[in-house]
Amino acid sequence: MTKSILLWGLAIILAPFFSAVILKVKAFFGGRKGSPLLINYYTLIKLFKKGSVYSTSTTFLFKLGPMVSLCAAVTVLMFLPIAGQPPVLSFNGDIIFILYLLGLGRFFTIAAAMDTASPFEGMGAAREAYFPIICEATMFMILILFYILTGKLQLAAYFSGGHPLGLWQAAGSPLLFVVISFFIILLTENSRVPVDDPATHLELTMIHEVMVLDHSGPDLGFIEMGSFCKLFFYSTIVASLIFPFELGHPALNMGVFFVVLLLVYVAVGVMESVMARYRMDRVPKFVLTSFALAFFATLITLEFVK
Amino acid sequence: MNLFFLSILIIASGGILALIFWRQFTLMKAIGVFGISAGCLLGLIDALSKLFNPGQYSFSVNYLNTLSLSFKIDGLSAFFLVAIFAVSLLSAIYSFHYMDKPEKALRTAVNYLFFSLLIASMALVVTAENMIAFMFSWEIMSLSSFFLVIYDHQSPENRKAGYLYFVFSHVGAMFILAAFGVMYGYTGSFGFTAALPESAKILVFILSFIGFGSKAGVFPFHVWLPHAHPAAPSHISAVMSGVMIKTGIYGIVRMYWVLDLHTPLFGEIVLIAGMVSGILGVVYALGQHDLKRLLAYHSVENIGIILIGIGIGMIGVSFNNPIMAALGFSGGLLHVLNHSIFKSLLFMGAGVVIRKTGTRSIDALGGLLKNMKITGVTFLIGSLAISGLPPFNGFVSEFLVYLGGFQGVAMDKTPFVLSLLAIVSLAVIGGLALACFTKVMGVVFQGEPRTPAAEDVNEKGPAMLVPMLVLAGACVVIGVFPRAFVLMALKGVESLGLASGSVSLAPFVQITGNITLAVAIFFAVFLLILVLRWVLYRGKTVGRSGTWGCGFTQPTVKMQYTGSSYAASILAFFKPVAPLHEDHPAIRGRFPNKTHYHSHVDDIAELHMGTVIVRPILWLFDQLRWIQHGDIHLYIGYILLAIVVLLFFI
Repeated sequence: MTKSILLWGLAIILAPFFSAVILKVKAFFGGRKGSPLLINYYTLIKLFKKGSVYSTSTTFLFKLGPMVSLCAAVTVLMFLPIAGQPPVLSFNGDIIFILYLLGLGRFFTIAAAMDTASPFEGMGAAREAYFPIICEATMFMILILFYILTGKLQLAAYFSGGHPLGLWQAAGSPLLFVVISFFIILLTENSRVPVDDPATHLELTMIHEVMVLDHSGPDLGFIEMGSFCKLFFYSTIVASLIFPFELGHPALNMGVFFVVLLLVYVAVGVMESVMARYRMDRVPKFVLTSFALAFFATLITLEFVK
Repeated sequence: MNLFFLSILIIASGGILALIFWRQFTLMKAIGVFGISAGCLLGLIDALSKLFNPGQYSFSVNYLNTLSLSFKIDGLSAFFLVAIFAVSLLSAIYSFHYMDKPEKALRTAVNYLFFSLLIASMALVVTAENMIAFMFSWEIMSLSSFFLVIYDHQSPENRKAGYLYFVFSHVGAMFILAAFGVMYGYTGSFGFTAALPESAKILVFILSFIGFGSKAGVFPFHVWLPHAHPAAPSHISAVMSGVMIKTGIYGIVRMYWVLDLHTPLFGEIVLIAGMVSGILGVVYALGQHDLKRLLAYHSVENIGIILIGIGIGMIGVSFNNPIMAALGFSGGLLHVLNHSIFKSLLFMGAGVVIRKTGTRSIDALGGLLKNMKITGVTFLIGSLAISGLPPFNGFVSEFLVYLGGFQGVAMDKTPFVLSLLAIVSLAVIGGLALACFTKVMGVVFQGEPRTPAAEDVNEKGPAMLVPMLVLAGACVVIGVFPRAFVLMALKGVESLGLASGSVSLAPFVQITGNITLAVAIFFAVFLLILVLRWVLYRGKTVGRSGTWGCGFTQPTVKMQYTGSSYAASILAFFKPVAPLHEDHPAIRGRFPNKTHYHSHVDDIAELHMGTVIVRPILWLFDQLRWIQHGDIHLYIGYILLAIVVLLFFI
């Protein structure tokens, strides 16, 4: 238990570092030296030191938004098994709770954006409300597959304990689809290229960045922290699927796990460097691909693997 | 049973006394509200005690020495009674300040009379034990709610809504009557017995499903719902949407129990109807511009979720999976209670908004949260609950339904496919509901007022605010401590004797415990963040200024995102089932003319009802018009002929 809590704390502390890896990869592809790997910590400290300016249009919901989205992301990490270790919290159906908790965070992020009366933020909010609908359908499709494979509805049962899910298991081949499908969800839910572009602030093309235009100071810091944690959550699941942690020694497992996790972040960075953002009306098709992949994976599992 | 009938008597006398004292406006309202709420409170206490002490509570009377009317309260009835009395109690209190037009005193008094009759008849519907008593109460319920819908009968729109409701409720009643007729034809008794051949049972179930479905608002029989709810006064919408349409659900579950046939067909019908209603209901809701119409479509959606739960339960029963059955049924029933709480809360909130701003159009509002704190916050809680998010009550029931659905995934063939579809549709419904309620919150309560109607509003009227606070509190309490309420739903399921006989309560108690634990941890983390925020902002300068216009210096409130623009891209995705019509003359030339934008989403059921059902029927009756020629002698001949023919048969 103490170990799980420590890992949870470690995850929160390391999340900003991993996100900076993406920036470094992008800088490498751009032929630049790039900002230091600790840049996100500097940014957070800078933001936490500042005060804030609030729009006269806003209400208490504007201040509640960053807190709830951070709270949801941090709570969700408690359910996450890291490197095959049991998580802090786990119960039957916890994954449904997790998905709906992330939904709660999204509700408040959107509410905070709509609070500003800004048309740009409204635009971002409408997109933020739209794309995750398809993601949720995919997530539940993947859950159905996981349920068929393990008979459990518990994140800890998938990625920790004696028989974790992974590409190298008997059911590994359909899981390859799931890895790709989950990677698409990761990109969509965390507003990365090709769905969204976290680097620019050109409002008309943005989803997440434009929704937080009016936030400043510690509030903005909370939002950033929340998105680091959320990205860490999704990346860990992808890493866990790729690598099943059966090396015999916990410390060895842990070390290799973090290397795999780093590779997932590097993959996101490479993706952002070599691809352009899709036009907004193409995004749903891209996200629907993930649903199709998850669906095929389920069919294949039913017919051949079982 | 005595307490139950006493409470109905008090409710009805509240309505009748209100009519007698109609000349003293405030006194009349006070008497009406007091009578109805006192009766509901008594009924609520009685129903709760009967739910937790199951036993034989029955009563029967011989009406006119020919027809026996009998009533009985079992766990299922008691569960529905709790919802009916609780919501009616709060709606009655709400109406005290909502009905504030002394110049319409008589009409208000009539409204109280029919309101009391509606509550009494709903209570009788869920306790009726034979066909005669059931149809009697059902008709009183349909008629009294019809009169409540046409409260504002000056407006032609409302009269049309009333007419549509009248037609639908009576065609629905006809189907139920047909189902009862088939039963009577085989059994020869008015009691609910299952002595039927299997094919007759299937026919009875399908007929009654159409009949009850039209009351519940199941797609495609929901057409009356989005018309009738906006027409009725808000406390009536709260009762109609919160509990009256649930009598349709009660009917479906009761018929399933009566017929006692565990064919998977029933579960499949109910589940598919649930998925279609759920998804289409929320898609159409997204396309609405009228606040109450939007909420009415959400009733269609939530009826869909309830039916998904019940359908999963039925499939569990037919495949001998008692855990799946218990999860599905209890999830569905709990959602009945939850929906009655948050939907009446939302209708009450909408009522305050409409009363204070004078408009139902979402895109004319904005920024109401600043002046309507209590309405805004309770509406927010209702929105979160209806979107099925933790830590509110909607999550608990959807969670149970999900768990039931995953039980079905372990099966093969048809139940597998249906469970898979049910789970994915629940996920899609959840996402769409979140989109729809962020739209309502964002456009109505947040941002800046879009028209003068939304400026300088207030929320005076404690009788309207207190019920909303109570309901919002209930949303949170059920969401955080679901144990007692899940047990309540299980008590309701238990009386069906379908599955719980072999299912222990321990796993359910554990599920609720898990939810409480997870939510408690969520709150603990939130508290930590709150403290952290307080520390970070201590001694800092916090300024206020206008929203950043991205360099644009002359922003106006008209530039805000509207509800239509918010929903546009999602609606485009659902184009085949929700055709969007836009009227927008293009801007041309150097000195363009004034332009406008208008959009509406067609409901395909409403669109095709005319061509598929109404027109063929009219054509058929046109062909038969020669019978109706106006010659009185031949009419007498018809009567004679009819009597002679009947004499041969009887």
